[in-house]
Amino acid sequence: MENINHFPAIDGVEPTIHYAKRKPIVVLKQVGNLLYTSGHGPEDQITGKPIYAGRIGSDLTPEEGYAAARECGIILIGALKDYLGSLDRVKNIVKATALVNVDGDFCDINGVMDGFSDLMVEVFAERGYHARTVMGTHNMPNGNIPVEIEMIVEI
Amino acid sequence: MGNIENRLKQLGITLPKKDRKGKGAVPAKEAGGLLYVSAQLPTDENGTPLFTGRVGTEVSLEDAYAAARQCGLNALRCIADYTGDLDHVESVVKVLGLVNSGGDFSSQPAVINGFSDLMLEVFGERGMHARSAMGAYNLPQNVPVSVECIVKLR
Repeated sequence: MENINHFPAIDGVEPTIHYAKRKPIVVLKQVGNLLYTSGHGPEDQITGKPIYAGRIGSDLTPEEGYAAARECGIILIGALKDYLGSLDRVKNIVKATALVNVDGDFCDINGVMDGFSDLMVEVFAERGYHARTVMGTHNMPNGNIPVEIEMIVEI
Repeated sequence: MGNIENRLKQLGITLPKKDRKGKGAVPAKEAGGLLYVSAQLPTDENGTPLFTGRVGTEVSLEDAYAAARQCGLNALRCIADYTGDLDHVESVVKVLGLVNSGGDFSSQPAVINGFSDLMLEVFGERGMHARSAMGAYNLPQNVPVSVECIVKLR
């Protein structure tokens, strides 16, 4: 689990998450024992640069979409670890919502989102099963990232 | 037989079988007394879409309304499977309706009324909910409508 996120300590100092401080938006917010995360794209957490960009169905293949969704999952798990200290505090992945940047008549949006869902089950096993909503959109932030995922986690 | 189950019978509504999701995603997940129901598609018992295409260009408002109602039936099925009895539903809290919209179609709320009307028919006062409706560019299996909801359990 140590290598699962992109912001391990550098020279003993853990870097702050790039966009955490520049907007009135936080990466995640706790209410009771639920954590609401902001939507996360497949972006380098140090530079903020997108790791994948473009629409699935034209610019990107479904496989790249799957990989991008998995990347979002890795980043979200990183944010959880950053906040919770230990991922053992995760009781359940409750709900995930995915916005998938699609083009033409591409509609295997579930197949793209499986990149995230498969990862959650690999990492959290039973606790990783979640309710899910996916939708195809046509424009996304930060250089037109292909996937953005938000989730609700019970701790 | 529970009250809501009776009500379904009176309304002549038969719930479809479970709408199965892939690995990782489950039909519903509970946390803190709230049941989060995965976005439902207007599919039949085998998971085959009953409607496909974009609303406004390929699908009429009437068909889209019917599709949203079918999403509601599938949602009720998920809730019934999870709780064992729909009487455990205290209220429908929040609904998010996604409409696969073509051209300049902008009557998304009228489409999602198919879902909302069903909730009122089935649960009465308890079925009233906060709601968002939006146009999507594409939806899984090219369905015209997809609806997720959050319900409070008791």
